[in-house]
Amino acid sequence: MLKYIIRRLLGAIPVLFGLSIVVFSVVHLIPGDPIRSLLGQHATPELVAEIKARMGLDRPLYEQYFIYLGQLLSGDLGKSVVNNRTVIDELASRFPATIELTVGALLLSIGLGVPLGRLAARHVQGWSDGLITVISLLGISIPIFVLGYTLQYIFAAQMHLLPASGRLDPRLDVQFRTNFVFVDSILALNGEALFDSFKHLILPAVALGTIPFAIITRITRAAVLDVSNEDYVRTARAKGLTDARVDSRHIMRNAWLPVTTVIGLQVGGLLAGAVITETVFSWPGVGSYIVNAIQDHDYLVVQSTILLFALIFLVVNLIVDIGYAFLNPRIRYS
Amino acid sequence: MTGVASDKRPLLLVEDLVVRFRTHDSLVHAVNGVSFELESGETLGLVGESGCGKSVTSLAMMRLLPKPAGRIEGGRVLFDDFDLVTLPERDMRDLRGREIAMIFQDPMTSLNPVLTIEEQMVETIQAHRKVSTLQARQRAIELLEMVGIPQPETRLRSHPHQFSGGMRQRVMIAIALALEPRLMIADEPTTALDVTIQAQVLELLRHLTTETGTALILITHDLGVVAGMTQRINVMYAGFIVETATTPELFATPSHPYTVGLLHSIPRLDEERPERLIPIEGTPPDQRRAPVGCPFAPRCAWRLEVCWTDNPALEPLEAGVRLVTTGPGATHRIACHNPPTPEEAAAGRPLRDGFVAAAPPGVLLDELAAVDDHVAALPGEEVALFPGDEGPTSTGPSAAGLPLPPEEGRR
Amino acid sequence: MASITAPVGTPVPRVVPERASRGLWRDAVSRLLRNRPALVGLAIIIVFVVVAILAPVIAPYTPLGRDPGQVFKPPSAAHLMGTDRQSRDVFSRILFGAQISLTVGVVSVLMGLVMGGTVGALAGAFGGRADTILMRCVDVLLAIPGILLAIAIVVWLDRGLLQIMFAVAATNAPIFARILRGSMLALRESDYVVAARSMGAPTFRLLFKHMLPNSLTPLIVAATLALATAIIDVAGLGFLGLGPDDPRIAEWGTMLTGASSFYRQAPFIILFTGAAISVTAIGFNLLGDGLREALDPRLRR
Repeated sequence: MLKYIIRRLLGAIPVLFGLSIVVFSVVHLIPGDPIRSLLGQHATPELVAEIKARMGLDRPLYEQYFIYLGQLLSGDLGKSVVNNRTVIDELASRFPATIELTVGALLLSIGLGVPLGRLAARHVQGWSDGLITVISLLGISIPIFVLGYTLQYIFAAQMHLLPASGRLDPRLDVQFRTNFVFVDSILALNGEALFDSFKHLILPAVALGTIPFAIITRITRAAVLDVSNEDYVRTARAKGLTDARVDSRHIMRNAWLPVTTVIGLQVGGLLAGAVITETVFSWPGVGSYIVNAIQDHDYLVVQSTILLFALIFLVVNLIVDIGYAFLNPRIRYS
Repeated sequence: MTGVASDKRPLLLVEDLVVRFRTHDSLVHAVNGVSFELESGETLGLVGESGCGKSVTSLAMMRLLPKPAGRIEGGRVLFDDFDLVTLPERDMRDLRGREIAMIFQDPMTSLNPVLTIEEQMVETIQAHRKVSTLQARQRAIELLEMVGIPQPETRLRSHPHQFSGGMRQRVMIAIALALEPRLMIADEPTTALDVTIQAQVLELLRHLTTETGTALILITHDLGVVAGMTQRINVMYAGFIVETATTPELFATPSHPYTVGLLHSIPRLDEERPERLIPIEGTPPDQRRAPVGCPFAPRCAWRLEVCWTDNPALEPLEAGVRLVTTGPGATHRIACHNPPTPEEAAAGRPLRDGFVAAAPPGVLLDELAAVDDHVAALPGEEVALFPGDEGPTSTGPSAAGLPLPPEEGRR
Repeated sequence: MASITAPVGTPVPRVVPERASRGLWRDAVSRLLRNRPALVGLAIIIVFVVVAILAPVIAPYTPLGRDPGQVFKPPSAAHLMGTDRQSRDVFSRILFGAQISLTVGVVSVLMGLVMGGTVGALAGAFGGRADTILMRCVDVLLAIPGILLAIAIVVWLDRGLLQIMFAVAATNAPIFARILRGSMLALRESDYVVAARSMGAPTFRLLFKHMLPNSLTPLIVAATLALATAIIDVAGLGFLGLGPDDPRIAEWGTMLTGASSFYRQAPFIILFTGAAISVTAIGFNLLGDGLREALDPRLRR
């Protein structure tokens, strides 16, 4: 087991290096001259050269790369050219918001997706199966921004049930210690804030979680159907076990394997989708940070943040892989 | 061991069992009226090629047919006094594993890969008996010892993929015998195993079932497997039982053309003169069509015209004999209009002068032509009266005017 | 040879090989035709393609054509889907947007197919070290989830249609790489190739000759589904402000962003644009699912 973990970790290292190279080249090999376009009208050759020297952009490429690598490893992701705050600080303060959103969406997608997938498999070819298939089809076909605006329109603008944007009613005062609204409002024993933050989370979480929900539903359905046809399920029935037992111990235990893998992959989709969701709902997380940076032409920020996302995705997949090894004994001992 | 013949009430009585598979675009006639009986403690072999319905019969008996396609559409299966066909599911569940156990062909896929052997054995025991996990575990260790698995205490914690094929099948047998069932069904238990291991597993099976007095239905396509294992054999073809006899009698005097063909297509070490292997030409019928006539007719060298239209019933070889259905005195029965004589059975082909297997009647010809797995070479083209042939004689075989059997003239 | 069965004249069912393989495709097509949702998807796609091709002909206005003074007018006879902030006809813009989506979608999937497929095929054919290195590169791409990769590339290469196509191609390339690698690996192990190798036949040519037909079915399915994702991703890029910056190009995602802040005044723009994107994606997804079922070898019983 330990060997498996170590092997996975070692395998991840080249990917990390590759990522850093990709992001490095993207930042430093931008066609055209970013410094010049940044300075715009003030771009005199001397000024451009000076800034380049200051930023170390006139050194040979491989030197730049090593400096960059050093910076990365020490946690220095650079500074935003626009507002001079370090990227790391900004990310740290915004990250909890994105985590709340992502976790909310993930819980929603698993909490609804797996039961519905099982239901569809149990009544395969029946009307509930058909309905669930249609819903999951719509789920993967409707882009997040379309769904987001639709939800906003219906629930906020028309029905006034839920807030259209933001994370918390600005009038509520909650001291942010961890930057997690949920945690902080609990810590402050502020029930109203807790409830309010929950209300704010619903629409964005639904918008973000719909695609993973749809995919998880489909995978669960397929997995349950596949497993139900396996020989060992027949053996379990031949032993006289009750349907409930067969279902939980033999079918679900095995069906969870591919579902878990898919969930791991969906986290990536959630991270990517967060960018769009936060824009639609003005959610103050890392996603909207990227989008603002794009519009400000703050490319270093964009690339650094994407690198961070990729890192998180890698780590999550690593955790999922290891978790999978716990669930699947065949991998454990190989 | 086996008691006196049919005065005892049989443990199992299958009567006219019919099983069909329905999908949205086809209907498969898997089992077409199968009847047999089994005494307690008896070993019965169910033999036939793939698709003949032997596995389906046993799955139907256990009510484990794949849903929703597989359905029992007729007949009764009497176990004790219960008709398993109509028994409520929860009573059926109670019987499964406890009174009737089943082991399957591929032990790798028949065991749950994510659970330990212990878990899979204990759950079986606890499903039918109120015992503590510790007691169940104890019993599991006993069972593993019984089937010859070394170091059972440690092996309990292993997973199926950590065992070899033969060991896995032993585990399956252990699970099946855990609750001392009165009937065990083994569906091709050794087909997926290495040849050397096959013998070991079969020997284990034989030993255990005789020791515990468990009746055994052994399903296989391999006549060699049943030769040393069973007391009686049912030969199945296309969903019908075509011959049933005690094992010694079946091998000594096979009387159905199909059985004769089977025996001539396997090499036998006890032959004095090594005989040429004679394959059975052709393939089994398409079971998506309702059976008409004897299912073996298209491939049968002894067929008469009536074989095309009338499916013979299972009848004793000699008329007027008292029917004994189980035990060592069971009556040898076949379903055939024109059984081979013992000499023909030994030779593997008809020996009667001028005998020609009957061609299908006209109507049937058109029907056969319409089905696309009977191909181009239909008798319609080849049934040409050869010059010099006699005209059709009054009845039977040569009515269709086929050329004379070239056997005598050819090599 | 002596036979237990009757000699000449016995009807013996024989199987004709060519019939069997022809049957595979005919089988798949007939199964597809029976799959109603897939047919709906196909219909949607046909409408989409026709509209895209005929846009200059059927659109009542040009994408830039302004109808002065008609800002944010709701749908009417003159403007079937209303007008936008710059008094342009939304309906026409959506029709032209179909052109963009179709072109970018198809080109980017083709690019991804070629790029990813080549990498995967080489990895599978050579195996060993080359395989590991190539697939690690693919892993790096995969580590950057979905649209983020496209964003990174467009930010790097600047906005523009070609760049967008390349970016979206990069996101769907890994899938094709995996498929082709898998089929190559399977081919290498196949008895046919092993036998050929043992006779000294040039294996690489063999592999490449057989690789395509072998992996055709998963490729077709993956390509169809990738088209759906491509269309959504292109719209997503436009939504984030990374769409083509040529104002003459009416791209659905960009249109939607433009209208987003005004959803109180003109919700219908968001509705129509969103519907256009969604329905098109639904069409490709339906067809892709239908193809997967029709071509699934397991389902042939």
